[in-house]
Amino acid sequence: MRRSAVLATVAVFTALALTGCGGASAPASGAGGSATGAAAASTGGTVHVLLTADYSHLDPARGWDGGVNNFYRLIYRGLTTFGAGPGAEGTKIVPDLATTTGTGSDDNKTWTFTLKDDIFFEDGTPITSEAMKFGVERAWDPEAGIGSPYARLLIDAPKDYKGPYVSGDLDTIETPDAKTIVFHLKKSFADFASALAQPNFVPFPKGSGAAGAFDTKPIASGPYKVESYQRGASLKLVRNPYWKASSDTLRPAKADGFEFTFGLDGATIDERMLAGQGADANATAGAIQAATVARIQTPQIKERTLSGYMGCTTYMSLNTTKKPLGDVRVRQAINYAVNKDTVVAGDGGTTLADKATSIQPPTIVGRVDYDPYPTDPAKAQQLLDDAGLGDGFDLTLDVRPDPRQQGMAVAIQEALKPLKINVKINNIDTSTFYEVIATPAQQHDAAITGWCPDWSSGATFLPPLFDGRNIFDKGNQNLAQINDEAINKRIDEIGAMTDVNAANAAYAELDKQIMEQAPIVPLVYEKNVTIVGGNVAGAYLNDAFSGGIDFISLGLKDPGK
Amino acid sequence: MARYLAGRIAGLVLILFMVCLFTYLIFFKLSPDPAVMICGKTCTPERILQIRTLLGLDQPFFTQFWDFLSGLFAGRDYGSGANLIHCPAPCLGYSFQTSQSVWEMILDRLPVSATVAVGAAVLWLVIGIGAGLLSAVREGTWWDRTTMGLALGGASIPNYVLALALQYVLVVKLQILPFPSAVAFSDGPLLWLQSYLMPWIVLATGYACLYARLTRANVIDTLAENFMRTARSKGLAPVLTMRRHALRPALTPITTIFGMDFAALLGGALITETVFGLNGVGKMAADSIAKNDQPVIMAVTLLAAFFVVVGNVVVDLVYTGLDPRVRIR
Amino acid sequence: MTTAAPSRDAKAGPGAGTPGVPATSGRRIAGALLHDWAAVLSTGFLALVVLMAVCAPLITALTGHGPNDFDAAAIDTNLGGLPRGSLGGVSAEHLFGVEPQNGRDVFARIMYGARVSFLIAISATVLTTLLGVVFGMLAGFYGGWADQVISRVMDFLMAFPSLIFMIAILSSLPSGNRAVLLVVVISVFGWPYLARVVRGQTLTLVNREFVEAARASGASTGALVFKEILPNLRSSLIVMTTLAVPGYIGTEAGLSFLGVGVTPPTPSWGQMIASSVSWYAVDPMYFAIPGLFLFLTVLSLTVLGDRIRAVTDAGEAS
Repeated sequence: MRRSAVLATVAVFTALALTGCGGASAPASGAGGSATGAAAASTGGTVHVLLTADYSHLDPARGWDGGVNNFYRLIYRGLTTFGAGPGAEGTKIVPDLATTTGTGSDDNKTWTFTLKDDIFFEDGTPITSEAMKFGVERAWDPEAGIGSPYARLLIDAPKDYKGPYVSGDLDTIETPDAKTIVFHLKKSFADFASALAQPNFVPFPKGSGAAGAFDTKPIASGPYKVESYQRGASLKLVRNPYWKASSDTLRPAKADGFEFTFGLDGATIDERMLAGQGADANATAGAIQAATVARIQTPQIKERTLSGYMGCTTYMSLNTTKKPLGDVRVRQAINYAVNKDTVVAGDGGTTLADKATSIQPPTIVGRVDYDPYPTDPAKAQQLLDDAGLGDGFDLTLDVRPDPRQQGMAVAIQEALKPLKINVKINNIDTSTFYEVIATPAQQHDAAITGWCPDWSSGATFLPPLFDGRNIFDKGNQNLAQINDEAINKRIDEIGAMTDVNAANAAYAELDKQIMEQAPIVPLVYEKNVTIVGGNVAGAYLNDAFSGGIDFISLGLKDPGK
Repeated sequence: MARYLAGRIAGLVLILFMVCLFTYLIFFKLSPDPAVMICGKTCTPERILQIRTLLGLDQPFFTQFWDFLSGLFAGRDYGSGANLIHCPAPCLGYSFQTSQSVWEMILDRLPVSATVAVGAAVLWLVIGIGAGLLSAVREGTWWDRTTMGLALGGASIPNYVLALALQYVLVVKLQILPFPSAVAFSDGPLLWLQSYLMPWIVLATGYACLYARLTRANVIDTLAENFMRTARSKGLAPVLTMRRHALRPALTPITTIFGMDFAALLGGALITETVFGLNGVGKMAADSIAKNDQPVIMAVTLLAAFFVVVGNVVVDLVYTGLDPRVRIR
Repeated sequence: MTTAAPSRDAKAGPGAGTPGVPATSGRRIAGALLHDWAAVLSTGFLALVVLMAVCAPLITALTGHGPNDFDAAAIDTNLGGLPRGSLGGVSAEHLFGVEPQNGRDVFARIMYGARVSFLIAISATVLTTLLGVVFGMLAGFYGGWADQVISRVMDFLMAFPSLIFMIAILSSLPSGNRAVLLVVVISVFGWPYLARVVRGQTLTLVNREFVEAARASGASTGALVFKEILPNLRSSLIVMTTLAVPGYIGTEAGLSFLGVGVTPPTPSWGQMIASSVSWYAVDPMYFAIPGLFLFLTVLSLTVLGDRIRAVTDAGEAS
């Protein structure tokens, strides 16, 4: 349940937490996703990362977006994690500290994991099941547990449990011995291994990390540890000497260290990446600016460019509680009228986005490609006439004042003009945008926003956005405020399925069922396009991290340079 | 003198107190709920309440303000038990968005801002006063007219326009300078110089132009005064007259203005730091405003006001030392 | 930050000279300026910009490109929306080219942006002058506790780091009517610079013979203020306001550049420059045009203010 890093990060100076961006699946543009990954990485050297904004939190219980989740894998290890590879490999769930992806029992209400051997924290103390348990318990701390909610949502806990610092031990996580950990869930949940890949299922020595300590000095369990950190400016990682390659089949950890530079201007980063001089040849960066698209067309630069889906859907919500939009015909008419091609153009063109037709983006497992509402102005007019609104109406659209959002808004405005629907673009400052649209009392008729899944399944996409029982006065994510009994019922049925594949297929059908009600207009699937330094090896885009460059596989071709 | 100083310091404290109160009041009344910003993405109403309690936001205004003030001198604690966060004096607040005390954050960033300010100040003093002096001595010549014309032009360029223009020409097109960044001096003096050169130039241009015009006007005025005529009629060489008699009275007012300008810059050159991505206090302020990280915004405002007010007092003291016409009774 | 202290130039200026003889007449100033090519050029340029601003709706009706009209044909969406053609898409169709990504006509946006800039700068100048004159004269005329209170308030406002504070206030306020907010915020922090000079001059004027004489002959306070003192402040007010306008234009542009000024799609020069930042390497014209207009406008106003000051100073000296 998370908005995309791109869409959610507050930014006046378009600073974006988007860490590495792009996607090796290289969809429409066809730019060879693995081009730079071909050369093998040698051991040694320091990989540089240039970013516009600092990570939200180094404490994995606090931070939670595609960018920082990717970063966490360098210094933390969980029980399970996402695979390391381009395409479907990246969204696969694999064991990390655990020997397997877990054994479910008691109708998948109890899950048991065994820890690997030779796993240590950065100070050399072994990682035990007790440390694992403590790390998970931190999710309930009122102050620290502001990140991923899945621990609290899934694991059974007393109502008044407030984390290990305040309430002490949680009885529903058992540690029969130093290698075994048992979770007791609230209800049956077949895909628990996927939830465990969330960043806050990470071990910490018992009692550590109170009062925000990990935000400045984390305790590493992964191949790297923090050497120095200056908030908003720079972050240096060096090898964690106690990490054993033998215990970690996922992380090649070729580079000796990482050096992150934050707070750079987006255009400056692109210039440096294009020039690729000096240490910048060893660098990776975030998504390029729209302005840079024209300059990556030469073969030399194209070779160093990765492109892929961010795995999110940008959509326009239609508030069903507002008068004309309460009529499903009106919502369908708008879906037919919006010309997705002009929306893509407004969002920066085909290099940066593909048009969206279904609710779920292409990176979701089991998703089916279909187009319920191909652009058809005549049909739209017909539907409006049927609804008795042939003379049009006024529609207020909430948008953030940034050029790409504006571009999409104007494209929608233009497309609805022939229907005499007068779109009034209402700009809301980026810093308050999400607060306003998530407050039903303040949101208007429509809003342009986006959603990214927490893992590659409809389970973290459709229920949070369209479950009619999830409409809150504050922090509401069901922006359409659609409350349809059939949809709610289907959500419960799929949630109870024990076969993950069957569930994913069912979500694809649910996608169609929801779109019949047309509560939203899917607009675009944004893409990450990113330039990689000439000396960087092992770069590919991982779909699990908003299509960011997978840090754990990075190394240098020639560490001597 | 001691009484004067005591009076000035009392006034200083009063003004800082007012700035505090005013800033606090504005943020208290106007800005969106900081608890919502801290709460993160999986926020619930109960959690917002908990955070409000933790931050003391549920207290009445004056209690909050008092907590802030006493924190400045005695330090302050947030939360309780194992989660207790102690913010030692001078506690300007604690940022829950970065999990750092604001004072620590400022100390981290101050060196960059100071480097930018000092470098720019040296540049604009040398160029501004030098050009102004030359123009004054050669009043009416083509040199004078050209310099003053350029000075008017230079003072009219908004610094972000100049910054982008310079970056385009020097870095992107000609590639004779690297992209500016907060390089440490220990990384190599040449690289350090190259990295900071553009920010210095951008920041110094406006000031240098202003100082050139001020210097010129002051020197010309002084040269026209009676004691100067006397000095010249005594037969002193022009250069000597200039050095011994004209410079000091002519430059005294410049000292005043310089003190104020420099003090204001220590609070962070917001635009220059932002455009060049230098992580100084100014950029921190801009970032915090974007994230609505209130304790940081408050602290930077206060810090900048502190520099201005203290700068004011220092300038007055220096002024009395420099100008024999001003004596404190 | 030159944009932050709009009136800083003024403090080195008219405050230095005490007005003696009743002020220089408008006609004499105009006459002197006519003989100065720099002043004539500046006036010409300003007249052009003002004309463009005033006639903006008319001109855009002629060209057929409004400030918010997207022109998809003028940009190449496969290249991230780079304008087609050289120099940022400059053509007969689009005189100054188009904005990347959306193809809006830069010429139209410059004209409408001028409206915003001038409107805000002039309103702010009027408001600061009003506040500055009223409070400055109150302090200077009555002295005593009125002077004490007003002077302390001025000290307080001038000690404020105004740029940081303006940004903080503007970003936390609901975006409502940004133009009005900008005027208010700029004025609140701007008036003390003017009031300080007015106060100083009033203080000397109050003790002058002609004021004493008027007072002795039983003139009311109102008559004293409006007939004796205000006319004597005129020349310094002219100078200070001419120098304040470019300062405020710069401040408005600076705030818009930082993203807290007028909200898009309303065009403003500062905002145009801000959005051109990411394009400066690919489409330098997009940055150069609003940058040049901003620079030339500020320069023209500064030159004009400077020349007026020179003329009035010379008038007083004679």
